Amino acid sequence: MTPHLSEHELIRKAQKGDERAFTQLIKRYETLVYSFAYKVCRDSDKASETWQDTFVNVYRKLHQFDGRSKFTTWLYSIVTNNCRMKRRQRKLDLASVSIESATGLHDQPKTDEEGHTIQTIPSWRETPLDSVMDKELRGVLDEAIQKLPYDYRVVFVLRDIEGLSAEEAGKILKLSVPAVKSRLRRARVFLRERLNPYMTA
Amino acid sequence: MKKTVRCPDVLNHICEELDTKLTTAQCRELKRHLAKCPNCTAYLDSLKTTIRLYSLAPVKHPSPKARKQLFAILKLKA
Repeated sequence: MTPHLSEHELIRKAQKGDERAFTQLIKRYETLVYSFAYKVCRDSDKASETWQDTFVNVYRKLHQFDGRSKFTTWLYSIVTNNCRMKRRQRKLDLASVSIESATGLHDQPKTDEEGHTIQTIPSWRETPLDSVMDKELRGVLDEAIQKLPYDYRVVFVLRDIEGLSAEEAGKILKLSVPAVKSRLRRARVFLRERLNPYMTA
Repeated sequence: MKKTVRCPDVLNHICEELDTKLTTAQCRELKRHLAKCPNCTAYLDSLKTTIRLYSLAPVKHPSPKARKQLFAILKLKA
């Protein structure tokens, strides 16, 4: 049994061909890999295939992992490569959607007689945590992120959902930090604009 | 002459740096703007809510069938 080994020890044993250690490695990271694949692919079948392909790649290439980056960063890189390849093979990605969207913020906002800015952007209604499970809201969230082009979606998921730094995301996606920030800004605005009608209705 | 902070500038900055503390000189200027601009405040709050909603999505797990297939491919005991 190898349940209490540290990540480093587990990887070292698996690199030496210890199958029980590799099995343990899969069990330790299977949810992280599947969950991330699902968030990026937005499809159970594609996520399952990506999940399998990722661990097959890990099995074949584990000897190449040198420990200079975090193991999870290495895993995320393999998942994103597999997702990207799937998109090329199937050519099923949604038509590119224009990311340029009106935000409603103006250079010269309206002011009242005393010079105070008048609020023209409505505040969003309160969203209790329970309502996130609400079917209608889940549908709105799913549809919005599905429409977000892949290159932006993967940045949004890595940064805002998985909580990686701009540097880590850049390393995984082979992008500069400014490019990661730019894509993240556009992704956030894109999603916000699509949720806006529902959240202000 | 001191440059006036415009709402689109604020948007561009806060959209990128939501997760960092506004402590630099430029950020202090943005904070002053936010304090008196209901539009930028509403926009910033809605961006934070957008991220919060997505981060609360239920965690997904691989199916037992997919797991079984993987272990068969790698010839490993589950």
